[in-house]
Parts: sequence; structure tokens; C-alpha cells
Amino acid sequence: MATPDFSDPEELSARERQALECLIKRLADDEFVLAERYTEWQVRAPTLESDLALANNAQDELGHARLWYDVLGDLGYTERELVYEREPAEFRHSTLVELPFEEGDWADAVLRSYLYDVAEELRLEALEDSSSPTIANRVAKIQQEEGYHREHAQNWLERLAEGESGSGEGHERLQAVLDRLFPHALTIFESCAPPRGANDANDASGDEPRAAGSDVEADIVDFGLRTATLEELGEEWLAIVVPYLESLGLDVPESGQTGDGEFEFEVTQEMLPPERGRDGTHTDAWVDLYDDFTHTYRELGRSEPTKIMDTPE
Amino acid sequence: MMDLNTVKERAGPREFSPADDLPREYREAATRMIEFHANSEIMGAYLERPFIRQSPSIDRKLAFSAKVQDEIGHGQLLYRAAESLGVKTREEMLDDLANGDGKFLNCFHYPLKSWVEVPMISFFVDGAAMRRQATLRRTSWEPYAHAMDKVCFEEGFHVKHGEDILKELMTGSRKEQQMTQDAFEEWWPRIIQFFGPTDDKSTHHDFAAAVGLKQQSNDDLRNAFLDQYIPKARKYGLEIPDEPRIRERDDGTYAVEEDDLDWDEFFTIAKNEYEPGLGQINGRKQAQEAVDWVRETIEADAPTAGGHEPQAAD
Repeated sequence: MATPDFSDPEELSARERQALECLIKRLADDEFVLAERYTEWQVRAPTLESDLALANNAQDELGHARLWYDVLGDLGYTERELVYEREPAEFRHSTLVELPFEEGDWADAVLRSYLYDVAEELRLEALEDSSSPTIANRVAKIQQEEGYHREHAQNWLERLAEGESGSGEGHERLQAVLDRLFPHALTIFESCAPPRGANDANDASGDEPRAAGSDVEADIVDFGLRTATLEELGEEWLAIVVPYLESLGLDVPESGQTGDGEFEFEVTQEMLPPERGRDGTHTDAWVDLYDDFTHTYRELGRSEPTKIMDTPE
Repeated sequence: MMDLNTVKERAGPREFSPADDLPREYREAATRMIEFHANSEIMGAYLERPFIRQSPSIDRKLAFSAKVQDEIGHGQLLYRAAESLGVKTREEMLDDLANGDGKFLNCFHYPLKSWVEVPMISFFVDGAAMRRQATLRRTSWEPYAHAMDKVCFEEGFHVKHGEDILKELMTGSRKEQQMTQDAFEEWWPRIIQFFGPTDDKSTHHDFAAAVGLKQQSNDDLRNAFLDQYIPKARKYGLEIPDEPRIRERDDGTYAVEEDDLDWDEFFTIAKNEYEPGLGQINGRKQAQEAVDWVRETIEADAPTAGGHEPQAAD
């Protein structure tokens, strides 16, 4: 099939548009929600220096979210529709980024950042030659900043894991966080369900729900929007994070590693958390977060149309 | 060691640096002043942090996160300027702040409940801070003056951002305008008290002025602020509350009727005994203690035990 031309959003077919939206919503929502969580560390990080560093990450991710939401803006969406008025179940971020931090759990902040940033790097690589020029243009800028995030995360992971108190608290905390986060990290590579209404028929059965989403996933690659499949990205991700985490002395949960040391991304239902994020199912923590970041918007009544005149008596 | 009379004689702008062997009285007074300033940056950031999340747009959220980050950066700079006096370490100052012994600005003892209150801090209080900080670029402790250069530069952006938030609210729906006016009425007396007690009630003023640490009196700063900000408030459609009474002088400048302000509350706050403020102090303490384990881990690990903060993984 010939690669479609994504340079003019007006000219897209319904399928092309659906594929583009599905791809971008994941990118944008991941960055936006992760930034929300990162900002929780502002004025709460272990040192003033780490406070400044994590604030930088949060602002980088917010900036990226804005870049990706702008791509959807070309399709006619406004920020209000995409962020402040979208139903929580319409967000497509991975559950990894929505989980709350327990107070003081810096091990979570740095491990989550690492798991996410490696995936993000791979995902961006697969977008470098995207058939959508708007996407390809944004990738380089974002890549520069993400590289720094990963370095920062690894630096901290190594300090916490190795510390003189090596067998001590840092290591223990990292292991507990890894056990908790790993299944959620796997949802990064889950497919998004098709837009609302399209998969209603699939809701009941056990293995079917992912099938309808897969059509869109196939389109994303077939249309050249992304040059790798989710499975390929997942395998590359495992091949990086599993040996690295093991080198820190951590036990990695069931990851799909085969006997000969190769990785196959064959994620089973048991390996995933009940909520997948990508298909619109989210943890309760997401609803709380959503209520909080839309609070002012609702309090000020910004969603109500401006009244031209008061209701007559 | 330089004696106190020499200090007073020489007390010009940026006159003293860590190379000078300064008397204890000077170093303690300067530490108290800079520590107060640094603590205020931290507690201001603590107060505003929830509004990063509650910002009503992505642009505001980005700007607000950057602002809170700037405040932490100012705290970092100021603690360094204070540490260089050799009286207290940063860790001691942060621990004192957590334990309720560290003092900070009156305005940051009040709770911040709604987005409409945000410009009360980021426009009026930051604007008041700008006035005071501008004079401190001529303070006699050079590291403090140097820190003020950067702080004033960044604070200028914060005030502009705060002004933009105020303008947006005051040109928004009638409901937004009313909520903002209500917030203004609640905050106005506190904002005026930002400059502290009148000169005759101020305990530390004389010495700080004599050794060049403080460049302008509370009364002068307060009146200059009123001259500048009353017209600004009116420009955006805010009504100045009847209390405290404000007198317009013949030359168009303003002065406040100080007895109309609640100085009991002010001094309760100054002792860290005001309830909401205590809640904020303890909230920050809890956050600091929750990451004690991280600091212990990296300190145990640091090649140079004691002395410098580990920088590599910041």
C-alpha cells in the first residue's frame, strides 16, 4: 500500500485520521499525566537540587504534551476539549504514569522515570521517519530532553541501589517499587481501543477486546506513522531494561524473557494489571487526579458558555 | 576582627564579603535576615505548589511549575548566601524551618484555597517583594546583594505572570470577578502587613540599617508599594476595601492607618503560632522527613563525608 500523505490534515480519510489520533493521544496523554505526577515532587524532593531537577522534567514533559496536543489541534481539537473537558475514560495514557506516589517514595520517582524514559526513547526513534511531517519535526526537539531525563534517572537508581547501605533501604525500596510498577510499565505497549462506540461488541469476551484496537495499530504502522510495531518496541524495551535492572541487583518480575536470553513481547493477561490505560480503563487514582487538575476550570465555570444577558425576571 | 564601629563606618552597598573577618553581631543579624528571606521562598513555594495542578490551562501550569521551581532556586541561592556568613548551615536552617523555629513572611502563613487567590500572592505579594528586594541589591553583604540580582530578574517575570492572571480573572465572567474581589478583600490587609510593623515597633531595624544590611525602612517601603499598587488594583477593577483606612496625601501618594491593621495576629504569626501557618510548617516538615532516608543513603555513600552537599545526582 502506498504511504498516505499526512501533510494536509484536511485530506485525511477517516481511517488515517483515526490512526493519527490514536497514536498522538497516547503520546500526549502519557506526557501530560506523567508531568502532573512529577509536579508532586516540587517542594518535596529529597534536596533542593533534586527538587529543581524534577521540576525541569515536569516542565519538559508538559512542553512535549503541548507539542503533541497541538498536532491534534491541526485536526480541529481545542485544548479545552483535549484536556479540561475530555471524560477521564477517554484518556489513553498508560497506567504507569497515573499511579500516585506514596509520600517520600523517591525510589518510585526515579524508577518510574527510568522505565518510562527508555520506552519514550524507543518510541521517538520509531517516529523519526514518520509519514506525518508534523510528527517527525517534533521528534528531534523532544529527543534531546528525554536523553537527559534517562541519564538523571539512571544516576539516581545507581546511587539508591548501590549505596554503602547497599543491601539496605534504597535497594529494598527499589525492589518493592519495581514489583509494583512493572506490570503497569507493560501497559505502555498495549494497543489503544478504537474510538468510542466502535468496539462495543467486543466488551464481553475474554480475548476479543484487543482485536478491534489492533486494526488501528496495524494502520499506524501500515500508514508509516510509526516505523515499528508495539511488539517490536516492547521487545527492545525489555532487552534494555531487564539486564540493566538485574545489574542493579533487582529481581525483575515475569517479563517474557526466553531461555536463550532473547526477549519476546508476549504479554499475557496475568502479567498486566486489571486496568490498561490505553483502552480507557484506569485506576481510581486517575479519577482523583483528573478531578484535581480540572478543579479550577470547573470552579470558575469556564466550561459554561458565556451568558450574553442575565435571565429575565 | 573588624570592630563594630568600622563595620558601621564602611557599611556601603556590597561592602563586605566572606574575605572580611566580621564581628558576630553583624554575621548573626545578616544570617537572621537572609535566612528569613530564604525560608520565605520555600514556604511561598510550598503554599503555591497545589496550584500547579489546579492551573486552568497548560500554559498556566507550565508557567506556574516554573515559578515554584524559581522560588526553590531562590531559596537555594539565599541559603548559600546565608551559609557564607559561617553562622548556620543550610541543613540547620531547613531543620529549624521544619521544627517551627525558622521565621518567614506573614503572607505565607495563610492558606491558599482557590485559584482566585493566586494573584494575591503572585501579583501583590511578589510585587511587594520586588520593591524590597530591589533595595537589597545595595545591601552590605555582597553574596546577598549578588543573589538579589538573579532573584529580582526572575521575580519580574513572576509579577508579570501574576498580573496577567489577575487581568484574566477581572475580565472574565461576573462570577470570576466577584470571587477575585472577595479574595482581594481578604488578602489586602495581609499584603500591607508584608512590610512588617511600623518603624517604631520594629525590633531589628536600627542595627540592620546601621550596618547597611537594610536599605529602606518598613514605612518607606510600604508607602512606596501603596503608591504603585493602589492604582494598579483599581486599573483592573478591584475596589480598595474601606479598612484599613488609607489616606491620600496632597501630593497623590498614600499612607495607611496602621491602627486599623491586626497587629496581634501579625505577631502571633511572627512567633509561628498562627494555626493555618503551623499546619503549613508541619506539612512541609512531614514532606521533608518522608525523604530523610534518601538523604541518609546518599550521605552514607558520599566520598567526602561532611562538608559539601552531593551534587552528582541532583
